[in-house]
Amino acid sequence: MAVGFEYPDLSVAAIRAGLAAHDFSAREVAQAAIARVDALDPQVHAFLEPTPELALAAAERIDAALAGTDAHNAADASAAATHNTALDSLGPLAGVPIAFKDNMNQLGTHTTCASLMLKDYTAPFSATCVERAIAGGGLPLGKLNMDEFAFGSSTETSAFGRTYNPWDLERVPGGSSGGSAASVAAGMVTVALGSDTGGSIRQPASFCGVVGMKPTYGVVSRYGVVAFGSSLDQVGPFGRTVADIAATLDAISGRDLRDCTSQEVTTCFTDYLERGVAGMRIGIVSALTDAPGIELEIVTATHQAVKRLESLGAHIVEVELPNAAAALAAYYVIGPCEAFSNLSRFDSVRYGYREPDAADLGEQYEQSRAHGFGPETIRRIMLGSYLLSSGVYDTYYYPAQQVRTLITQDYQRAFEQVDALITPVSPRTAFRFGEIADPTSMYLSDIFTIPINIAGNGGLSLPVGLGETSGLPVGVQIIGPQFSDENIIQVAAALEATYDIRRRAPLEAGIHASIEDRLGTPLKAPTQASAEGGRQ
Amino acid sequence: MYLTEKDVRGIATYARIGLSDAEVAAMTVDLNSIIENLKPITEYDLRGVEPTFHPIAGLSNVMREDRVRSGFTHDEALANAPAEQDGQFLVPSILGDAGGDR
Repeated sequence: MAVGFEYPDLSVAAIRAGLAAHDFSAREVAQAAIARVDALDPQVHAFLEPTPELALAAAERIDAALAGTDAHNAADASAAATHNTALDSLGPLAGVPIAFKDNMNQLGTHTTCASLMLKDYTAPFSATCVERAIAGGGLPLGKLNMDEFAFGSSTETSAFGRTYNPWDLERVPGGSSGGSAASVAAGMVTVALGSDTGGSIRQPASFCGVVGMKPTYGVVSRYGVVAFGSSLDQVGPFGRTVADIAATLDAISGRDLRDCTSQEVTTCFTDYLERGVAGMRIGIVSALTDAPGIELEIVTATHQAVKRLESLGAHIVEVELPNAAAALAAYYVIGPCEAFSNLSRFDSVRYGYREPDAADLGEQYEQSRAHGFGPETIRRIMLGSYLLSSGVYDTYYYPAQQVRTLITQDYQRAFEQVDALITPVSPRTAFRFGEIADPTSMYLSDIFTIPINIAGNGGLSLPVGLGETSGLPVGVQIIGPQFSDENIIQVAAALEATYDIRRRAPLEAGIHASIEDRLGTPLKAPTQASAEGGRQ
Repeated sequence: MYLTEKDVRGIATYARIGLSDAEVAAMTVDLNSIIENLKPITEYDLRGVEPTFHPIAGLSNVMREDRVRSGFTHDEALANAPAEQDGQFLVPSILGDAGGDR
């Protein structure tokens, strides 16, 4: 291995430069990533199914393409420049270790959604985001743990055991994309993909001290991603730096004929990393940021971030989002209703768990769904079923959609005055396992993120260091106007550059050799899929 | 209290989820608590406000050309089926015991 090859901290740009300079091969990067997953995932349990042979195969293709170009240009004096051209043709993620939330289909891997319902489901096709990430040069390291069907904020509802926060193994990584955040925070992969329906990318990113972005609804295709709330769901990237997020977004964004909500995106997000914020108008919402119930260290960190933006030359503008409080209630009407509809496809006939020995088809449906789905999933389906029932619809569902109009108008008005907004991501830092048992309290932890899904805008969680009291990662959220996600990248990159902070959790193999002794056995034993690893 | 246990049983039947008596009791408590938290939605003055069913206004659907494309093969479509017979999804009797083979 070449000198200076410290895999866990490598950025997308460093991998690219290293490949171009022949400091290392894509195969060496893949091997380092596989070794890191082997060494750390027994502690973190971010992966439900590692796919080392797929990562190695992707690396071989990249090395072969680069070698082919080299041989062809052996006599050419400008060979180095040509080599870069070959890298460009391999895409923005050439040689970059990546992993996918397990609600994303990837041909030949399991897509479990962390549910017993889909424990044995093997994807017969790939989601567009997965296909594009791999076509863009990514090395697919595996599938990542999550809350079951993305219902949760802690990854505790996974049927296949907890994921542990790499910053403090006694705490949750957030959720629902907890595996995605933890895998990046632990330096097992460079970037990861997650999905965000009410904060499921941004909140775990903030809990694990990494960058996570939910782009505007329509920027990334959802084809092949198991649907939760179809008017809310959006796919987005995790990374340790804003630059890595931008490169990943460049690879996966844009129109896809297989998702009629996906839109043409011609923006190159990487172009917005160095532009600074001088002269930009950035909005703060004091009524939200300083509201009761938000930990002081979060408020302090947010205020400090605002000061830094101001000192970089941004104009700070106070704006109002008068209907923000109603967003939570609207979300907990709209989300379950859409989930109820989407999860009706799990009928135990075409795929999914089937209860043996049912007397008739009706009993088979009812018992298969009762035993295939976990408690939180059943709760959401039941709630959606109730809210859409005759008479109740007019009391909750229809008004929720009207409230959605008010919230959307709030943001439209705000973005007439500013180019971006800054708020906290979560009212607190990562909590301990089991600390929040009441479902309603768990729902409240998404109060800053949910309104963005209701309105459809993009939002990003940027780590701004460790909380004064908790000593755990704190994030701030940068929100942009619809389809101006480049504003978010521009502001986040400028703000990021003012912080000299750890980008990766201080976790190394062997330090917590016996986590089972300290924490007890995981809720459920890992599945066969995760125990065997790499099964295709 | 918004829902009785009887209501919850009805909802479960509609959602095709078989709950035990104990599960119905616990679910009734949970759902009533959640619904209580949805109250703000019922308290807004929403006269004259149009609903928004989709977050992005003013966008048109993305359509492809109406051309035949290949999809899953028969085997691929059946690959994840819990049970199959003669190239078809196999389900238990729909009409009860008299309905035929299981």
